[in-house]
Amino acid sequence: MFIKEYISDVYKAVKSLLTGMKTTGGYFIRPGEIITQQYPENRDQLNLPERFRGEVVMLHDENNEHACTGCTACELACPNATIKIITKFDVSPEGKKKKALDTFVYHLELCTMCNLCVEACPTGAITMAQNFEHSVFDRSKLTKKLNQPGSKIREGVE
Amino acid sequence: MFSLEGLTNSLQQWLNAHLNPTWVLVVESLIVILLAIALFAVLGLVLVLMERKVAAHMQIRLGPNRVGPQGIFQTSADTLKLIMKEGLTPDGSDKFLFNLAPFIVMIVAMLLLAPIPFARNFQIWDINIGVLFVSAVSSISVIGVLMAGWSSNNKYSLLGAMRSGAQIVSYELSAGLSIISIVVLTGSLRLSEIVASQQDGWWLFKGHIPAIIAFVIFIIAVTAETNRAPFDMAEAESELTAGFHTEYSGMKFALFFLAEYINIFIVCSVGATLFLGGWMPLHIGNWEGFNHIMDYIPSSIWFFGKVFFLIFLIMWFRWTFPRLRIDQLLNLEWKYLLPISMLNLLLITLMAIMGWHF
Amino acid sequence: MNASAIIFYSIAAFILGTGLLAVTTRKIFRSAIWLLFSLIGIAALYFWMNVTFIAAVQIVVYVGGIVVLIIFSIFLTQRSGKKMPAPALKRNAFAILAALFGFAFSWNLIQGALPSDVSRGLPSDVFPKGTSDGSLKGSSDGSLKGSSTGSQVSDDPFGKTSETVPFMKTSETMTSETFADVSDIGEQMLSVTDHGYVLPFEVVSILLLAAMIGCIVIAMKTPVEKKPEGSPLTIKEPVTETQKEVVS
Repeated sequence: MFIKEYISDVYKAVKSLLTGMKTTGGYFIRPGEIITQQYPENRDQLNLPERFRGEVVMLHDENNEHACTGCTACELACPNATIKIITKFDVSPEGKKKKALDTFVYHLELCTMCNLCVEACPTGAITMAQNFEHSVFDRSKLTKKLNQPGSKIREGVE
Repeated sequence: MFSLEGLTNSLQQWLNAHLNPTWVLVVESLIVILLAIALFAVLGLVLVLMERKVAAHMQIRLGPNRVGPQGIFQTSADTLKLIMKEGLTPDGSDKFLFNLAPFIVMIVAMLLLAPIPFARNFQIWDINIGVLFVSAVSSISVIGVLMAGWSSNNKYSLLGAMRSGAQIVSYELSAGLSIISIVVLTGSLRLSEIVASQQDGWWLFKGHIPAIIAFVIFIIAVTAETNRAPFDMAEAESELTAGFHTEYSGMKFALFFLAEYINIFIVCSVGATLFLGGWMPLHIGNWEGFNHIMDYIPSSIWFFGKVFFLIFLIMWFRWTFPRLRIDQLLNLEWKYLLPISMLNLLLITLMAIMGWHF
Repeated sequence: MNASAIIFYSIAAFILGTGLLAVTTRKIFRSAIWLLFSLIGIAALYFWMNVTFIAAVQIVVYVGGIVVLIIFSIFLTQRSGKKMPAPALKRNAFAILAALFGFAFSWNLIQGALPSDVSRGLPSDVFPKGTSDGSLKGSSDGSLKGSSTGSQVSDDPFGKTSETVPFMKTSETMTSETFADVSDIGEQMLSVTDHGYVLPFEVVSILLLAAMIGCIVIAMKTPVEKKPEGSPLTIKEPVTETQKEVVS
């Protein structure tokens, strides 16, 4: 029936439009939900969302030990060659050679914060930090070494 | 009590006492010109700021908040910037028409201001065909848009102008039909008489459901006529960069921008006058006390309140609905709005003849 | 020469100037724009005469309809931005002859109409009432020989409309508020009395209806047997375009 279809078309259209207007109108009358952050003013009480990703950091515990085995899984996972891992060979007391991390080079200027390296890491050595104030005056400062000087791999991490 | 009527009357008396009639007319015209320009400037600043704030709050943002408290001087700063900018005229353009087009659009907007009753007995020109005047003169603005699009010598501009032309010409019909339905109820084209006929209730409430349908169609049609989203095919940023004003810069662009907002103001004030009683206060039946309180609010405040309510409604549309495709746009007009408004007009005529409205 | 006369002469100069530019310019789009200005000037003249309804109709029909149509057809033609070649001498000569003839004809009409009414300064109620409603034909024949019918239809509701007759604007009609309301025009249009226009009105509506149906038939695509080649979206477009042209 043509007329019936026509009227139901109009009814459905009006109804769906009103649904949309209800959503935006609801946002308009509830200004408490505004998510804009007044950045320089609220620097002291920043309220960043849980999943905000600022840069890749390596976790170190109080003994200056990390969990990176130098397996280069993160380097392989990175889509734009942000990470470069330089390994060395530790010699254990028994005289066995063991591959270990020498330098974890991280090019912040290339990083897109895609989180793939963190997901690829088998030992949970790296994570995403929420620090976002990265501006510096020299590009070379953006190339970072993530493992702290003198740090070594935690016991028992393979 | 504050009233614009007393102000104009005393001015008229003072001028009549001091000058001969011709000069009174000239001086009054000058005052009207000054007031119109001032109103335009203020409206441009206020409406642009309002649009940005409304948009921001509907998208859970804050909007402009840096220039002045709550960002209220943002638009003034923008205007200053636009005045400073160079008005470029492209090489391949038809220079005369290119420079003429923004002024045409602006002059049309200014002419439309004439028959609108802003407050009780405060109207520039109480012409006896008020409603027809508005719909006639507003059809000139499409020429300005076409002129701008063609003379820019740019494909985007031309496409935008063609779309805008097709759109305005088609939506004028349903806007006209919904205006006529109120004219049928009132029996007059004079805007002051239309307002006076709503003394005991606004047409939106007095006219039952057909009046509400007419109101909805009117709002949709004027949104399309002012080229605003969801009907902003003419400037469709994502496909035509800026449509018919792609090549404009500086103050000439500002004129187009301003004219858009002035046109919104004018169509909303026509809508408020026809459907929401213009400057008439809200009266409910026999509630004497309530009606007295409502009468105490000045009529100009009633008028501007209603107009800004309608403007808010149109902004609400803009920030909620996605843009229509050109075939959907024409389908909506020719297959839905026009038949419905024709049927609605018949219903309203029947209602007016039988006297079924309140 | 008072302010009203100054306004009249400036409007008239505007109309003539833009009309002249419309026929002499070599760019076709500009020609359309000058024509538009000329038509707006005529509307302004109607406003000056205080026949506001005719003025508004002039704007709606000519500016909002005809000129937009012209501009659209210019947009759809090729090389519309180029300068047109200058017309041949022979054509120019004929055009000038035609213009001169038209000028002489209207001069003759004005000469016939002017002295009998304006110079004598007849008050407006002496003007023919029954025949003066059509603003197009009133100036020549209505004012010359229509005064005999003036008395017999004096109770006609349309009798106040003598100001729709061009060239008859006297000082009384300018200031008085006795102009025809739109409802009077509407009643006259649909009245079935001697001076009603219901028959022409209906004939014109039938003509327009026929034109609209004709457009739809021309633009309508018959469902072809072969499966659709183009996209299904393009089928609907022509119908709406032509409808729009007719209605506007």
